Amino acid sequence: MHSTNYIIRFVLILTAIVAIVLSLMSTGLKPIHDKNEAVYNKSAILSAVSNEIGDKFATLTPDDVDAIFDKDVKQLIIDMEGNIVQAEQLNAMGYKDVSAESIDMEKEMKKAEKDRMLPLYEYTSSNGDAYYIVSVRGKGLWDAIWGNIALKSDLSTIAGVSFDHKAETPGLGAEIKDSKAFQEQFTGKQLYDEQGNFTSVGVIKGGAKDPKHEVDGISGATITADGVSEMLERGIAYYEPYFEKLKK
Amino acid sequence: MGELVNIFIKSAFIENLALAYFLGMCSYLAVSKSVKTAFGLGLAVIFVLGITMPINWMINTWLLSDTGIFGTDLTFLRFILFIAVIASMVQLVEMVIEKSSPALYNSLGIFLPLITVNCAILGGSLFMVAKEYNFAESVAFGLGGGFGWFLAIIGIAAIREKIRYSAVPPGLRGLGMAFILTGLMGLAFMSLMGIDPAAF
Amino acid sequence: MADVAVKKKEGGLQFGKNEKKLLTDPLNDNNPITVQVLGICSALAVTTLMNKALVMSIAVIFVLALSNLLTSLLRNAIPKQVRMIVQLVIIATLVTVVELALKAIDYNVYKELSVFIGLIITNCIIMGRLEAFAMGNSPWRSFLDGIGNGIGYGIILIIVAFFRELFGKGTVFGWKVIGATPDYLINTTDSYLFGWYENNNLMVLFPSAMFVIGILIWIHRGIINKNLVDVS
Repeated sequence: MHSTNYIIRFVLILTAIVAIVLSLMSTGLKPIHDKNEAVYNKSAILSAVSNEIGDKFATLTPDDVDAIFDKDVKQLIIDMEGNIVQAEQLNAMGYKDVSAESIDMEKEMKKAEKDRMLPLYEYTSSNGDAYYIVSVRGKGLWDAIWGNIALKSDLSTIAGVSFDHKAETPGLGAEIKDSKAFQEQFTGKQLYDEQGNFTSVGVIKGGAKDPKHEVDGISGATITADGVSEMLERGIAYYEPYFEKLKK
Repeated sequence: MGELVNIFIKSAFIENLALAYFLGMCSYLAVSKSVKTAFGLGLAVIFVLGITMPINWMINTWLLSDTGIFGTDLTFLRFILFIAVIASMVQLVEMVIEKSSPALYNSLGIFLPLITVNCAILGGSLFMVAKEYNFAESVAFGLGGGFGWFLAIIGIAAIREKIRYSAVPPGLRGLGMAFILTGLMGLAFMSLMGIDPAAF
Repeated sequence: MADVAVKKKEGGLQFGKNEKKLLTDPLNDNNPITVQVLGICSALAVTTLMNKALVMSIAVIFVLALSNLLTSLLRNAIPKQVRMIVQLVIIATLVTVVELALKAIDYNVYKELSVFIGLIITNCIIMGRLEAFAMGNSPWRSFLDGIGNGIGYGIILIIVAFFRELFGKGTVFGWKVIGATPDYLINTTDSYLFGWYENNNLMVLFPSAMFVIGILIWIHRGIINKNLVDVS
């Protein structure tokens, strides 16, 4: 049996060692982490247009990703009314960095709906076609899920998607990210019906029936799949005011 | 009030932590040999869930979120703090049971400290964060989740006590049968998942 | 259980009969999943696909061996009253250190593994071994015990995942093997065996893991190792 004094000393020393080791590692490695994360996020965005980039997408190095992003991608930040927000306005609102990639969707989604800032990426492919990539964020079974959706210039046809998640079950909900074939299903789907009404694309349990607006779900991951449907419907609709202006 | 009752019923029956999400399976399978020990462990889980849920709610809302007292987003500490709260509560329960009921303490064996890593407890706290419950709702969710887990372990313990008199093949006796029974109970509970809790 | 500490001179790195037993026991007589009933939750969660089960097994062997070693080194200094929190701190710190290092070295692998991290910290196999073995045995023996139990755990995980993936998705390690049902997980479009086979969605759901492990226990106790039959 140890004395109370010993226990307190032991716990304090252990806490100190753990805290020092972890904080040293965390601060020491932070620049590398940030760089890796930035490249990762950029390639997630580019992954939505991977069909246009072609086979070389799989072999891009971090430097290539940076280069493509600088050369072919135009970054915009828009507000919920569909206006492009200028750098000065963003600075006035307290944003340090004014590029679309610096928008933290997690923070934006916690704000009141009218105050949210949305990142928008315009990708120009090698043959001059323009693609619009929008970012969406929602909830899966355990924690957040998010994604990037690339639209063709008609603003209705999906050119590609990429999804990611924080903590979905490996092999079930996590398939939204891991299964390229699941993401492939979205290519060519339509956001608007023939009358021009926004209908989004739904992930349907038990097999998609509508070839234009539905994709197959993942067996055993109903809640994550419903989360994806909800995220697409709500998240893409945020960009509608801007799209309406673009169409005019 | 009706909303809280809803959450309680939903977490106890429709989204049963043990039988719908299969959380906390290790102690569930290992300690369900007799109704008596299952009862003891079930109560301990209700207690730990009911206590840790509101504490973790307070930690998450007041310390970790960016509107909390530190003003920055500290959610990367969520995991370790939640676990620390759970570990201290379990240690407390262990001391109380050791003093008040040595027989129960011995029959629970290693599975009492293992409540700490019982994923039903941590999973419950993470669900609570994901569902953005308020304080009262998190209490209802904790108690409901604990009650559901309690019912599930009592249920399987009762079946296991009865099945001892059946002609189970030797290799399946005990643990093997417990796994298969849990699978069947899980299938049965899947049918509850379609119920709309608003109907209550 | 075969967890009785063998009285022996401590500290040596000898590898005799007793040490070998530490590695082989968890594979059969004292398997963490089918005998000790530890680590079931993660066994249910990650066994829908074989490659996930493999990744999880390797991660668990690594964390289990190192946390056993660390806890054993500290075992005489850890006060009993706070031992659970100390054990958890050791596990969580170890996992976080690995996470931070990996995040700097290979970000893609880190993203692949990050979903497992929560599952590893709460995996009761790790705390179960710390509590049952490392708190009372020398570091070297604890290290071996960690490796042995990790492997014993991994074997069951991969067997369960094999059946769930094969019958649930018709694939093995992501490659289509049986059935012709269109499935978005297909990596190849060659012709398959048993083209009539329809994927069984039940195998993807949690209860099926229960059935598969139950049957494994039946085979284990009924055929391979009859000493384990429950006589109570």
